Amino acid sequence: MAEKPVFKVGISFHSFASEYLTYVYSFEDLMEMAGSLGRGVEIVGPSHHRGFPYVTDEFERAFKSSVERYNLIPTSYGSYADPFMLPDHNLTPDELYAYTVPQLQGAAKLGFPVVRLQYFAAPVAERLIPWAEKLNLKMGYELHCPLDIESPESQELIAQIERIGSDRLGLVPDCGIFGRSISAHHLKMGKDLGVNAARQQLCQDLWKQKLTYAQAEERFKADGAGKHDLQWLEMVWGSFGHSEPSALKDIKDYIVHFHGKYYNIVNGDEPDLRYEEVVKTLVEIGYTGWMSTEYEGAQTDSYAVCKAHQDMVNGYIKKYTA
Amino acid sequence: MVDKAKRVPKDRSFIRSDELRNGTLEGKPGVFVPLRLPSYRALPLSCIEKFEISIDGKAADSEGMRLVLNGISHSIDSLPYKSALFWWVFDPAELFVPWPEPLAAGEHLVQGVMADVEPYMTVGRFTFYYQAEKQLAVADGI
Repeated sequence: MAEKPVFKVGISFHSFASEYLTYVYSFEDLMEMAGSLGRGVEIVGPSHHRGFPYVTDEFERAFKSSVERYNLIPTSYGSYADPFMLPDHNLTPDELYAYTVPQLQGAAKLGFPVVRLQYFAAPVAERLIPWAEKLNLKMGYELHCPLDIESPESQELIAQIERIGSDRLGLVPDCGIFGRSISAHHLKMGKDLGVNAARQQLCQDLWKQKLTYAQAEERFKADGAGKHDLQWLEMVWGSFGHSEPSALKDIKDYIVHFHGKYYNIVNGDEPDLRYEEVVKTLVEIGYTGWMSTEYEGAQTDSYAVCKAHQDMVNGYIKKYTA
Repeated sequence: MVDKAKRVPKDRSFIRSDELRNGTLEGKPGVFVPLRLPSYRALPLSCIEKFEISIDGKAADSEGMRLVLNGISHSIDSLPYKSALFWWVFDPAELFVPWPEPLAAGEHLVQGVMADVEPYMTVGRFTFYYQAEKQLAVADGI
């Protein structure tokens, strides 16, 4: 009997940011490690190659030879909208379009089938679809905190995707939106920033009440919070959302890629994100694309912690396909 | 497989651990300070907002500073207009600071602040400030 097709787990090179940027791992090292981390490769355009927003012929040749060498599969290219790159005005739709097209061309040149879009690209998404068709790409808005699936902002993006009705435009949910609690790592960052215990508790209480950032900020300010308290609050709200894993069912036709964001693995599970329910739902809705392991926790041996994440996800896949 | 145990992480300070150079740029005497971009990603030069540098406690004149990247020198005032030029995360650069006399041989204390913008934060154009302090030797002249 043929096995039910399920989604696959690869690696986002953002997971290695710390070691990559401090000269511990070269880009080629990351490609080698990807060979034993599920083989699917996601890169962050302006981090991982020179010449952004273009892809040079030199990088194309080097990248493709590494793909051959380690038997890899390009999965998703991280593009940027950078709407605030100019000091005197926010990028106009024409400027956003001009900035994004070479990124799509570069992604296709490297063999990526999917491009992650920042939601800022929404004003030009419809104009980009002919390019996605020509280049045989799918584009997906990343639903990253604070963009819970249920948020008004995400619902607007979903309505646009439905209105346009092209399978070239979809979504890339980031697992950070499926929060259960605030991680020990984030609490420690708060402590390091000088946030006192009472205010850390207030933050946790406000988070459990599912307040928006603006509401929580107001309560924090009323409590006399300073700059560092607010900086930490924003970090927490930017890392842990309140989406229900079951909400994935509502967007199942639009998921073009998935970010397996996580901050920690303890005893084989991510204690602060609802991974088991997420994986169960992805299996139920028949998602067969890629999930990129995307570590964003404390500095550690990122290869080992990525392996642990993939063991967890693959374990849940096995459990729910048995 | 890569054996990372053999490699020591280097810092990402915006002042690189390299030599200071006495020299001239476009007819003016000064010192070249070794730089890197501290961000995790390439940024357009329009996102580079400010440099402040002092050598042995004496502030450099910010008016005449120039960023030398990939062989091209840019006045700091011109950076806001250079959104099509990108500074990549592993591109070494230098900051030329006007200095009337060549620095004496030996080590000098270089301190500074750099400001850049991550241009996609929900809150808008958001400036990050980086502080750095390095004890750097002056390169031998030939």
